[in-house]
Amino acid sequence: MNRSRTRLAGIAALSAVAALTLTACADRGGATGEDSAAGGFPDGDITLVVPYDAGGASDLAARTLATQMEESLDASIVVENRSGGAGSVGLDYLAAQEPDGYTIGYLPVETVMLGYQGYDIDPAAYEPLGQMVSVPATIAVPADSEYQTLEDLIAAARSGEVTVANSGTGSIWEAATTELATTADAQLKPVPFDGGAPAVTAAIGGQVDAVVAGISETSPGHADGTLRVLAVFDDEPSPALEGVPTGAEAGHDVVIGGWGALGAPAGLDAEVKETLSSAVSEAAETEDFRKIIADSGNVPMNVPPEDFQPFYEDENERFAAIFGG
Amino acid sequence: MSAAFEGLAQLADPLVIVCILVGALAGMLVGAFPGITATMAVALASSFTLTLDPVPGLAVLLTIYVAANFGDRVPAILVNTPGTPASIATTFDGNPMARQGRAGVALTTSAMASAIGTLVGLIVLVFAAIPLSRIALMFGPAEMFALVVFGLTMMVGVSGDNILKGLAAGAFGLALSSVGRDPITGTERFTFDILALSDGLPFIAVIIGLFGIADVLDQMYTHRSALHSPIREMGRWWPDRSELRTMLKPLGIGSAVGGAVGAVPAAGGDIAGILSWTTARKASKEPEKFGKGSLEGLTASDTASNATLGPSVTTTLALGVPGDSVMAVLIGSLVIWGYQPGPGLFTSQPDLVYTIAGIMVAATLLTLGLSVVRSRGVTRLLELPPHFLWTVIIVFCMVGTYAVNNSVVDVVVMLAFGIAGLFMRRFGFPAGPVVLGLILGSLAEGNLRRALEIGGPANILTSPIAMGFLVVAVGAVTVPPLVRALRSRRAAARAAR
Repeated sequence: MNRSRTRLAGIAALSAVAALTLTACADRGGATGEDSAAGGFPDGDITLVVPYDAGGASDLAARTLATQMEESLDASIVVENRSGGAGSVGLDYLAAQEPDGYTIGYLPVETVMLGYQGYDIDPAAYEPLGQMVSVPATIAVPADSEYQTLEDLIAAARSGEVTVANSGTGSIWEAATTELATTADAQLKPVPFDGGAPAVTAAIGGQVDAVVAGISETSPGHADGTLRVLAVFDDEPSPALEGVPTGAEAGHDVVIGGWGALGAPAGLDAEVKETLSSAVSEAAETEDFRKIIADSGNVPMNVPPEDFQPFYEDENERFAAIFGG
Repeated sequence: MSAAFEGLAQLADPLVIVCILVGALAGMLVGAFPGITATMAVALASSFTLTLDPVPGLAVLLTIYVAANFGDRVPAILVNTPGTPASIATTFDGNPMARQGRAGVALTTSAMASAIGTLVGLIVLVFAAIPLSRIALMFGPAEMFALVVFGLTMMVGVSGDNILKGLAAGAFGLALSSVGRDPITGTERFTFDILALSDGLPFIAVIIGLFGIADVLDQMYTHRSALHSPIREMGRWWPDRSELRTMLKPLGIGSAVGGAVGAVPAAGGDIAGILSWTTARKASKEPEKFGKGSLEGLTASDTASNATLGPSVTTTLALGVPGDSVMAVLIGSLVIWGYQPGPGLFTSQPDLVYTIAGIMVAATLLTLGLSVVRSRGVTRLLELPPHFLWTVIIVFCMVGTYAVNNSVVDVVVMLAFGIAGLFMRRFGFPAGPVVLGLILGSLAEGNLRRALEIGGPANILTSPIAMGFLVVAVGAVTVPPLVRALRSRRAAARAAR
């Protein structure tokens, strides 16, 4: 008994030492948080639920934001990964928490998609606190493909079937493919893979005709000449993809992509919501956060809840139409 | 060669050395803790390391990756619980060896085999990265499907003495792999409206249950009849000369199998270990010892599962395609540090490749040293009276499984498979084929469905690589029984004469 206790304590101590050393290795600047918390909130740790595995793009965005938010809130934010069911496990958990501000979560675009795909997820169960990242969709073909422009690809897809890889069934990239096919009245056949990287590889290897994926997934291939990105489905061209037209410029006005926001269970106290959303906004404005998001190929955003809410509702209606909900 | 010099010179920084040390300690700890995988550890550490410079950051992450693949062998050998999925095959022979009072030799052999496997895999990274990545690109869904079918034929090999029971266990594993949403249409299958099951059964929870918990339950069930002798002594630590000699062949087999499997995206140390173990058994002069404490089996599985590390890094760097789940996490960090994994990386930043290889070599040697020294301390755990030890193992397994995803469902699945595993043990069904079926079943299904979506059956039939693997797979199943039948007929004819 004694021995096992010492052992556990030893392991705990060692992990603590390892964690501390890691933190010490990290250069975090010298800024200390000023006390901006109002109305006694927050008075304790805040849990941030990420509905995906640790290490992914969403997790990274959430963790980076959390680090910045800790400073303005002067509270610890504990990131908790609850992945599974395409994000529905974590979202379901978040919706069931007390709306006291001590449990918040990362809301991905899937929040407004899953409800139409047989998952019990209702966008109204969450109160957005602000959007901080946007991941525009791109469409790319192998470098040696005969399709030089989006128009070439669409023309081919009108006379026959064109296979388009995506990261998985029900993913935003599959929805984007469907949306493009509907708008252009073409036969784009979505082929779901097990993740974004295998989908992009299948396009590089020529196993599929094209791939729809986020900028961060297609830009490396575009840069080293293994992929040709035909269009980015955003309002503006991407700095990461020089010379690549937007969907509208390429003749098909589609704007679609992933996004990430922070949110809380619905029913949050107005004052607490104000404290949290201004912390999100402050964090999203920091150079550290913007740099990490931009370096990973995505677009850092800072949209306050009042502007995000209408977009959130529009997106919900859009996916209702795409999935025939 | 100046790239090699520049790359390796980066390691002379004291900060890098500290980072390697920290990574080695953290990696061995998480490896030894069932449930917590190298992927999780690297993912969590990467949120710290992003603020570091790339080289010290990579030193932490890669060392955790390497060290976790050593640490996970310790619980596999001592308490039959794989610390991470990569050490599933380690339990096949490592745990029986420990039960026979040869835990010391098992631990040392495992560490040496792991080290040699890792180093061989790194040679692939340094010398064969570009050609290897071209081959990997040729593997689309059709080819992957055929490769996986070939892998499934290994099920006979891991079946143990009773092939029928082994195949039944394999079929059970395949059936389990169909739990979760359909990979193409998203229709729910056998999920019983449990959200957490919609991505399939939690793999780590299943293996911890099937191996660790089942073993504890089995010991509780049988300890009075003394069928199970608890591990009383560690025995010698160093293998003797004849033992070292028997390690040579499995070292070669393990390096080859691990090197090949590691290069295939999405296939990692768990599959390589099992495949190499069966291959080594076929090639061995003493196949009957496999599964009952064979030093050859242990060497083969550990060499192979660690030989996947180098090629995994290779496909990751040269293609931008993660070679395994740890690499998927690492790619994120690399991109943020400003490196674009892909064929261009080797021409634009050749020194980075040497830096990475250098870090991994240093990590391997350091971890080998630590394993040999530290294992002796850890094994003191086994001096606990069994009822305390069982409790400790069960608590560790539960905490570890819960930590994977903060999910109670995972813990319930783990306990359920613990009970299922106990029944399998009592009735002589091996656990290896279940794991193989579970891993390969969903890979086979997903890739077959995808291949058919892309080009129909012609997509598979017209691929020379795919057809090659399918022919070999059919051969692997039909040839040995045919040969056996021919031989017995000839023997019968001879006897009649």
